[in-house]
Amino acid sequence: MSRLIESRTHRNPRLMLFHGAIVALVVVLASGLAYRQLLKTGLYTERERLQNLRRVVSPGPRGNIYDREGRLLVANRPRFSVVLDLAELRSEFRSEYKSIKRNYDALPKDERPNADQMERIARSTVAQRYLDQVNLILKRNEKIRSTELNRHINQTLLLPYVLLDDLAPEEYARLIERLPVTSPLQVYTSSTRHYPYNSAAAHTLGYVGINSDPEVEDFPGEDLLTFKMKGNTGRTGLEKLYDLDLQGEAGGAIYRVDPAGYKVDLPVEKRLPVQGHNITTSLDIDLQQAAEARMKDAEGNDRTGAAVALDVRTGEVLVLSSKPDYDLNSFVPHLTTAEAEKIAEDGAWFNQAIAGAYPPGSTFKILTSIAAMRSGRVTPDQPITDCDGAVMIGNKRFVCENGEGHHGEIHLAQAIAHSCDIFFYEAGRLATVDGLAAEAKRFHLDQRTGIELPGETGRMVIPDPAWKEKTQKERWYPGDLANMSIGQGYVLVTPLDMACFAASVARNELFTKPTILHHPNAPTQHAPPIGLTPAQRTTLLEGMEGATIYGTAKFFSTPNMKIPGVRIAAKTGTAQKRVVKDGQLGTINCAWLICFAPLENPEIAVAVMVEGENLGETFGGGTYALPVADAILKKYFEKKAAAANAPKLVNVTAK
Amino acid sequence: MFPKRFDQARPFVTLGIILLGWIFLPLAIKSFSRATFFEIQAPLIVADSFVRDLQTFWSNKAHSKEELLKAGQQVAGLIAEYEIVNQTNAHLEAEVLRLENLLNIPSLPDFRFEPARVARRDFSGWWSRMTIRKGSNYGIPVGAPVVFAGGVVGRVVEVHHYTAVVDLITSQTFRVAATAAGDTRPLSYQGGLNNSFSAPRGTVDFVPLDIYATVAAPKHLVTSSLGGVFPPGLTIGDITSLDPSADGLFKSGEVQLDPRLGTLTEVTVLVPLSPEE
Repeated sequence: MSRLIESRTHRNPRLMLFHGAIVALVVVLASGLAYRQLLKTGLYTERERLQNLRRVVSPGPRGNIYDREGRLLVANRPRFSVVLDLAELRSEFRSEYKSIKRNYDALPKDERPNADQMERIARSTVAQRYLDQVNLILKRNEKIRSTELNRHINQTLLLPYVLLDDLAPEEYARLIERLPVTSPLQVYTSSTRHYPYNSAAAHTLGYVGINSDPEVEDFPGEDLLTFKMKGNTGRTGLEKLYDLDLQGEAGGAIYRVDPAGYKVDLPVEKRLPVQGHNITTSLDIDLQQAAEARMKDAEGNDRTGAAVALDVRTGEVLVLSSKPDYDLNSFVPHLTTAEAEKIAEDGAWFNQAIAGAYPPGSTFKILTSIAAMRSGRVTPDQPITDCDGAVMIGNKRFVCENGEGHHGEIHLAQAIAHSCDIFFYEAGRLATVDGLAAEAKRFHLDQRTGIELPGETGRMVIPDPAWKEKTQKERWYPGDLANMSIGQGYVLVTPLDMACFAASVARNELFTKPTILHHPNAPTQHAPPIGLTPAQRTTLLEGMEGATIYGTAKFFSTPNMKIPGVRIAAKTGTAQKRVVKDGQLGTINCAWLICFAPLENPEIAVAVMVEGENLGETFGGGTYALPVADAILKKYFEKKAAAANAPKLVNVTAK
Repeated sequence: MFPKRFDQARPFVTLGIILLGWIFLPLAIKSFSRATFFEIQAPLIVADSFVRDLQTFWSNKAHSKEELLKAGQQVAGLIAEYEIVNQTNAHLEAEVLRLENLLNIPSLPDFRFEPARVARRDFSGWWSRMTIRKGSNYGIPVGAPVVFAGGVVGRVVEVHHYTAVVDLITSQTFRVAATAAGDTRPLSYQGGLNNSFSAPRGTVDFVPLDIYATVAAPKHLVTSSLGGVFPPGLTIGDITSLDPSADGLFKSGEVQLDPRLGTLTEVTVLVPLSPEE
C-alpha cells in the first residue's frame, strides 16, 4: 500500500509543480535575504548607526586674559546649576502617563486631554517632583516651565535639563551634601566669563556673546544627529580679536540611544574639552584703575573721555580707558534690555580712546613747534611775534585764549609753556600749511596706529588745501592755517594717536607702534629721528617742562599733584566740539593733556581727553585732564619706587 | 500522583513560582518584608556583637597586672590631656558665642552625641556600610552624621528599632561638602573605589586652582557647615594629589583617609537637636 502511494506521489505532476513553486519561493527568499544581508549590509549598518547614535558637542572653556603683572583681568567662573538627567526618568514618565490616563478615563471622552497633552502633563509632574526635592533643600519655591521642558525633550534630549542656574556656593554645597549620588538630580558645572575688575578696561577687554554652534575638530560622527551645548564667542575688544586663540577646543561624546532618543549606557566615544590659550596684555590694572577713578565728576558719574598711557620704550599700552563704560559682568549670562538701553543712553558703547576723533587743541602746538623749527624760520631764542591778546588773520580777528591773553614778546619755550595762540598762529604761518601737514604725516597722525584692537577709527584728518577742496568743496583760507596751527579747525586725531605722538616726542623719534600685548623682553622701539638739533630739542623740552612749572600745566607742581623727584614734560590743550545736547546745538570743550616722564629718560607717555559736560562751558586741559594724567603717573612712579625698595632674591652658588 | 519527571523538577518549579510571586508583589509589601526581616535579624546581629565584646573582655582579662597598670597610667595621661583640651574648647566656644552675638550671626546647629558600638561589617562591603548597635530606640534619625576620634565616619542611611546602618565615608555613594583647612570655599568630597583591607581613600572635586597638595605636603580636608548636615571642621582626610580638570576651572584629586576607619568598634552619632527638615 505504501509503495503504491509512494509511486503515485512521485508521478503526480501537480505535486511536482507545487514542489517547484516552493523551491522557487525559497530561492527568491534566500536571494532576497542574501541581497539584504550580504550586498546591502553596509547600507543598513550605516542606517542603524545614524538611527542609534547621537553626538553631543560641548565647547571648551575660553582662555584667561591677564595684565602685564599676571593679574587676572578676564577669567572663567564656575557656574553651578542643578540639572535633571531625563534619560533616567523614562520609566517614571511612562508610569506617570499611565496613572494620568487612568485618572482621565473617568471623564467623558470629549473632556479628556489627548495623548500628547497627557504626556506633557506627565513629564512636568515628574520633573516638578524632583524640583520639589531641590526646593525643600534650598528653601525655594520654583516651578517647572512645561513648555520649556517639552521643548528640551523634543530638541535636546541628550543634554541635561537645567532646573536652577547660577547657584550660590552655599546652595551648591547643600545640594552636594543632600542629593543622593545616584539621583537623576545632579549638580552640574559649566564655565562663564568673569571680570574681577568689573568695568575696568571694559572697551579693551571686550565682552562675549553666546555661540550656539561650537565646532569640534577631528571628532568622528559628523553625519550623526548632533546636540551642541552653548559656548561663548568674542563680540568686542580683545575677546573678539583673539577669539580663535581664546576659544578652547570643543569636546564631544557619542551616545547610543533607544528608539525614543533616550541615551543608554556610557558614551561609546568621548573627548574632553580643552581650555583655550591665555593672553597677557600690556595693561597695568593698577594704573588703569587709577586713571578711571579720576575720570569721574563730583557726583561720582563717569565723565566722557579717554586716557591712554604707553611705555615709551616698547610702545606697550599701560592704560587704555574710555569713559563712560559698562560693567562687563552685566553681560553674563546675557545683557538685559534695560541694561543695554542704559549703556546706549550713556553713550558707553563707544570706545573714545581709539574710535573717537577729536580736534587735539593746543597739544598740537608741539607739532607746530617742531614743524616751525625744522623749517628754519623759527629759532629757539627769537621771539616771532608780540602777543597783545588778538591778531587779524585775513579779515577775521583771532584772539589768544590762554592765560591773560597778553604774553608780549616771548620765545618758543615760553610760548609752549603758556600755550600762546598768537605765537603759534605766526609759527604755523611760517611753517606753511604744507609744512605742518607733512610734519603731522611724518608722525603718522593721519593713519591708524594698527593697535591689536577692533574698531580703531580711520577718521583722523590732517587737512591741507587739496583735502579741503576735495571734501569741503572750498578753498583754503589763512584762518584755516591759524586754526590748524593750534590744533583746531579740521584737525582730528584719536587719544591713542596723541599718546603715540607723546611717546615719539619722548624718544625723539617719528612714530610709535602701540601694542596691547605684553612681551616680557620686548625690545625698545626704533623709528627715524625727528630731525631736531640738540638746541631745538632742548627748547621743546624746556617749554614742555615749563608748562608743568609755571605754565598751563602748573597744577603738576601743586603739593597735591607733585610727584617728588620726577620731572614731567607736558602740554595741555582745549578744543571745541560741536554737539547736540538736550536738543540744543552748541559747543562743548574737550580738555586735553599729553605728557611724558621722567623728562631726562622718558619711560611713560600719557594722553588724556575729557569732554566738558555743559554747552558753552569753558575750561582748560589742566582742569579736567591733568588730574587723570597725574593719577597715572603717580601710581606708575609709586610702583617703580616700591619695586626698587623690594628685597631682591639673591642667587647663592655653593662653591 | 504527578509523573516521576515532574516530581524531580518540583523544587525548581516551586522556587520559580516563589520568585515570580516576589517579583509581582507590591512594593509596599516588599519594603515591609525587608524591614521586618532586618528587625528579626537584628537581635542576632546584636547578640553576635555582644559575644564579640565578651570575647574581647576575656582576652583583655588575660593581660598581666603590670600591663594593666601601664595602660592605666597611659589612660590617666590621656585623660589629663583631654581635660586641658576640654578647657581650651570651652574657652573657644565661649569666644565663638560672644562673636556670634556681637556679629549677629545665627548659631550653628547643635547636636546630641550618641555613642554607639559597631555591631557588624560585611566583608563584601567592608568600605561601604556598617551596622551600629543603636537605632530609633535611641532617637537616631536617617541622615545623622557619624563621627569618631579621627573625624567623619559616615552618615546614617537606614534606621531600624535596635540598629542603624551607616554609609561610610569610604563608600562611593557618600558625598559631602568640604573645605580645605584654612579656606572657606566649598569642595565636593566623595568616597572612592576601595578594595577590602586596602588603605582607604576618596576623591575630591571642584577644588579651586590656587589650592595645592602633594603627598609630601598634603592639604587637610575638613567638613563645611555649608552643606547643612555636618558641623564644620571635622576631619575627612588629607588631600595628597591634585590635578587640573580638563575644563581648567577646578582641580580634582585623591584624599587619604584615616586607616583606623577599618577597625572601628565605637562611633558617635550626632543627633541634631532641632532637625531642619
